[in-house]
Amino acid sequence: MMGRDRVTTRFGPSRSVDAVANPDRRALLRRGAHFFGPAVAESAQHAIQPTFMRRPDRPGPRQKMTRMPAPPPAAVIATTRLGYGPRPGDIAAFNALGGTETARLTAWLDQQLDPASIDDSVADARMSAAGFTTLGKSLPQLWNDHHVVEPEWEIRIQPFLETERATLLRAVYSRRQLFEVMVDFWHNHFSIFAYEFIIAPVWAWQDREIIRANALGNFRQMLGGVAKSPPMLYYLDNRVSSADFPNENYARELIELHTVGADAYFGAIDQAAVPTDSNGTPLGYVDADVTAAARCLTGWTISDRSWDPDFGNTGEFLYHAPWHDNDPKTVLGIDLPANQAALKDGEDLLDALAAHPATGRFVAGKLARRILGDFPPSEVVEAAADVFTAAVAAPDQIAQTLRTIVLHPSFLSTWGDKVKRPLETLTSAMRGGEADWDFAIGADDTNTLLWRFNQAGQPLFSWHPPNGYPDVKFAWNSTAPLVMSWKVINWLTDVRDPSENYRIDPLSATPPDVRSAEALATFWIQRILGRPMPGPEHDEIVSFMAQGHNPNLDLPLDTSESTQERLRAMVGLIFMSPAFLWR
Amino acid sequence: MSEITRRGFLAGCSAAIAALSGSRFNTVAFAGGPQGNNDILLVVFLRGGMDGLSLLPPIAGADRGHYESFRPNLRVPTSGPNAAIGLNSQFGLHPAAAPLHDLFTNGNLALVPASGQPVLNRSHFDAMQFVELGTPGDKTGTTGWLTRHMGSASNLPPEIVMPSLAVGALQPQSFAGSTETLNLSNPDQFNLQTGPYAWRSAQRTSLRRLYQSDLSWLHDAGVQALDALDIIELNVGDDYMPANGAVYPNGSFGDHLTTLAQLIKLDLGLQVATLDLGGWDTHGDQGSNGEGYFASIIGELASGLAALYQDLDGTGASNYTSRLTVVVQSEFGREVRENGDRGTEHGYGNTMMVLGGNVNGGIYGNWPGLHPDALIEGTDIAVTTDYRSIVTEILLRRQGNPEIHQIFPGFTADDYQPLGLVNGPDVIPNFGAEIFADSFETGDLSAWSTTVGE
Repeated sequence: MMGRDRVTTRFGPSRSVDAVANPDRRALLRRGAHFFGPAVAESAQHAIQPTFMRRPDRPGPRQKMTRMPAPPPAAVIATTRLGYGPRPGDIAAFNALGGTETARLTAWLDQQLDPASIDDSVADARMSAAGFTTLGKSLPQLWNDHHVVEPEWEIRIQPFLETERATLLRAVYSRRQLFEVMVDFWHNHFSIFAYEFIIAPVWAWQDREIIRANALGNFRQMLGGVAKSPPMLYYLDNRVSSADFPNENYARELIELHTVGADAYFGAIDQAAVPTDSNGTPLGYVDADVTAAARCLTGWTISDRSWDPDFGNTGEFLYHAPWHDNDPKTVLGIDLPANQAALKDGEDLLDALAAHPATGRFVAGKLARRILGDFPPSEVVEAAADVFTAAVAAPDQIAQTLRTIVLHPSFLSTWGDKVKRPLETLTSAMRGGEADWDFAIGADDTNTLLWRFNQAGQPLFSWHPPNGYPDVKFAWNSTAPLVMSWKVINWLTDVRDPSENYRIDPLSATPPDVRSAEALATFWIQRILGRPMPGPEHDEIVSFMAQGHNPNLDLPLDTSESTQERLRAMVGLIFMSPAFLWR
Repeated sequence: MSEITRRGFLAGCSAAIAALSGSRFNTVAFAGGPQGNNDILLVVFLRGGMDGLSLLPPIAGADRGHYESFRPNLRVPTSGPNAAIGLNSQFGLHPAAAPLHDLFTNGNLALVPASGQPVLNRSHFDAMQFVELGTPGDKTGTTGWLTRHMGSASNLPPEIVMPSLAVGALQPQSFAGSTETLNLSNPDQFNLQTGPYAWRSAQRTSLRRLYQSDLSWLHDAGVQALDALDIIELNVGDDYMPANGAVYPNGSFGDHLTTLAQLIKLDLGLQVATLDLGGWDTHGDQGSNGEGYFASIIGELASGLAALYQDLDGTGASNYTSRLTVVVQSEFGREVRENGDRGTEHGYGNTMMVLGGNVNGGIYGNWPGLHPDALIEGTDIAVTTDYRSIVTEILLRRQGNPEIHQIFPGFTADDYQPLGLVNGPDVIPNFGAEIFADSFETGDLSAWSTTVGE
C-alpha cells in the first residue's frame, strides 16, 4: 500500500513524456508515425545549414541585452498577461470599455475580478459537450469510484485526465480569463504531482473545491483547504505524521513554499536569535520552527483505512487526536500552550503564517513576477504585499492584491521580460486561431495534442517537486521548450476533425477582399496578435506568403489548395514568431 | 514514413553537406590545438537530497554501531544476500549500487563522503540554487556556474558545434544565461516536422529570418533553438545502438543517458553536459535491509552510470571514457537518524561521486564519523570537503580552466583543498587578486549580469 503512493513525494523525474507513461500514451507513440507526415528530407535539405552552437557572432552571457520590445496596447498586455491571449474580438471589446487605456484596463479588470458576472455559456456548452463525468463528484464519491473499488488504471486516473482537459478547454474558451490564469497560478503555488495512484482519483475535487473555490478569494481559506486536502496530505507525507514520529516534509514546504518563503529562512540558528519587527514578530523562521510546525500538524490525516473504525475510508480529511502532539510549542514567536482544543495548534499555525508580513511579500512577489516580469519593481511588490497583509481576513483578499499590481503604472509600461510558457503558448495559439477542439476523453486529436504539449516541458499538474513550474525566463527560453512549443502549435494548423474540416481554419475566417500576400499577412497578424508586428517581422510574414511574387497582387486563395496550405503555414509562422511569444 | 526513416534519408541526402563540412565539424572546429581541452564533464544532479549514508554505509568499527542505532530500520546489512559490498575496511556500497562496484575496483570511481556546501541550508530549493549558481549562500546571480565555466575557458576554439548539452525537458539553472547550450530530451522528437508539409522548408527559412531580425534575448534564444534543430537534424542518424552490449535502465534517466552517449559519439566538441535524476526526497518508506524504494532508485542510478561507462568504453578515437569525468551530486544529504516513517529528514553532509577514465578511484576526504558528538546539531554529518574543491580540481585538471574566481566567486586559495581525485596537468588556479567576503556581488560576478527586466 505504501510504496506506490509515496514515490511522488521525492522529486521524481518529470512526468515522463519520452517514455510514455501509460497505455494510452504508449499507443499514441506507436502510431505516432501517422502524425508526422511523410518524409521531410526534401524540405529539410533546403533549410538546414551546418552551424555551431558556439560561434563568435553569437551574443554571450556577458553581453547586455539592450533591445527590448515596445509595450503593446493595454488590450494586448491585459489579455496576454492576465489571460491566455486575445481571441479575435477581444481587443475590440476591451477598447470599447473606456476612453483611456487606464479606464479600459480598470473596467476590464473589474469585470474579470467578478467572474460570476461574465457570461460563460460558450465554455459551459463545450464542457457539457466534452462529456466529462467526474468533475462534479464529491470527495467520497471520487475516492470510492476511482480508488476503493480498485478500478483499472484508465478509470483510476480519469478524474486527473478530465481535470487536465477541462483546464485546457477553459483556458481556450472561457471568458473568465483572469480566473483561469489564477487557477493555474495557485495550482503551481500549491504544486502537487497529481498523475499518481492515490492523488489522480481525487484530483477533480482538489481543483474544484480548493483551488477554483478560492482562486480570487481569501488566501488563508485556500491555505487551510490545502492543508486538509488529501492530495497534499499524501504528497508531502503529513498523513503519517504523529507525535511520536513527526514528519517535517509538509511543514517545511508549508513555510518555505506556501507562506513565509525562503527569503525569510534564517537557517539552523535558535528561534530566539531571529530578529523581530516592531510588533515582536520574528522576521523569519529557522529549522526549529519547521519542527514545531510539524508538531502542530500531527494527527492531520486522512480517512483511508477501511479496517480501522477510528479512521474509516471516505478519503476525506481526518483529525486523529491520538496522533497529535499535545506538548506546548513555540512557532514564529507564538507560544502555543499544551493540550489545546482539537485542530487548534494547526489552525493557530496557519493563522500566524497567513498573517506574517513575509508571507505578503512572498506571495505578492510571486504574483508580480507572474504578471510583470522576472524582476518586478520593488515598489509594486511592496504595495501589493501591504494590501495582501492588510486584507488577510477579507473574502476578496487575492482580488485586492491583484488589483494593486495590475493598476500600477508599471503594468502598462513593462513588456518583454518573459516568454510565454508552453501552456500559454498552446492555449493562446488555439485562441488566436479560433481552434475548434472538443477535449473529450479518448478523442484522438486531444490525446495527440496532450502528448505533443507535454513534450514542451509543462505537463499540467505533473511537476514533481513541490515548488511548481519555474516562472523565470531562463527555464523556458532554452532550446527544448522553445522547439517543442513551436512544434505543437505549428501542428495545430494541420489537424482536421473527423469531418475533414481543419480545426484551425484560416480560409473561412478570411474576408473575401483579403487576398494579396500583404493583405493576408496584415489581417492575420492583427487577428492573432491584436497588434501589428515590428516592420522587419511583418515583412517576413508577407514575404513568406508571397513566395517571390508581387505581395500586392491577389493570390488564388479560393481555388488553389497549395495557397490555402500556405495560408495555414503562414498562421503557423505567426504562432511561432517572437511577437507571439512575448509576455 | 517514420521519423527514423526520415533521418536515414536525411543522412543520405545530406551526405554532400557532411562531406563538405565533416572535417570542419568534427576535427578543426573542435580540436582546439595544443591548449585545447578534450575532456567531457558530465554533471548528474540527484534532486531531492540523496541519502548518502545509504549509498555508502559504514560496515565496521564504532561507526557501524552508531549507524545501526541511528538507523534501526533503514540500515543496510553487512551479511546475507543484501549485504553492503565492502569497498574498504570502513565503508560498503549499497547492494543495489552493485553495478558501480566494477568501476570502483577498476579505479574509475571515487567517492567523497562528508562533502557538501560550506553553509548548512535545509531548503531543497535554496540549496539547489546555491549549487547551480555556484554561489553557496547567495541566490541573486543570473548565470549558472557551467555558463561561467564555458564563458571563461580560454582553451577552447571560437567555433564548436555542440559545446554544452542539457539533456532533459528543461535546462537546469547551472546553464542559466548560456547562449550556446543545446537542451533536448529526445533527439527523435527534436524537430519541427509539423504543419502543412509542402511549406515546411520555406517556413523554416522564414522562421530563422524572423528571429534574426532583432537582437532581443528572445530573438537570440530563437536563433539558438533553430541552430540546435539544424545540428540535431543534420548529425543525428538512425536508431542508436549502444556499444559493448550496454543496456540502459528503463525510464527517462536511462533514456537521457542513451541520448547523451549518442550525442557524445558524434564528436561535436562537447565539453560539459548535465542530466538529472530526481526522486531522492525520502521522508518515508525508504526501504530496509538493502531493499525497497531507495534500493530501486540507487539501482537505477548505478546501472545507468555503469551502462554509460560501458557504452563509451572503446579504443583509440572511441575511447570516450578516457575523456569523460562524471560528477554526481545532490543538494544536501539526509539526517543520520531515521524518522518514524522509515524515512529521513533533510540533512547536510553527503557523499559525492566522481567517475571517469582519469579518476583515481577510492574513498576520499576526512570522514568525521557518526559519533553523536561529531554530528552537526546532533543529527547531521559534517561537511569536511567543500564540493567546490572537488569540482575545482576537475575544472583545473580535466577541463583546463583556471578561472575559478569567475566560476566560484568567493572561493579562495585557502578553501581549495584538492584531494587528488583526477589526473591531469596542473594549471595554476586564479582565485582572484583580492578576496572579499562579498566579492561575488561587487567583483567578478558583476560582469556576468544580464540586465533584462531592469
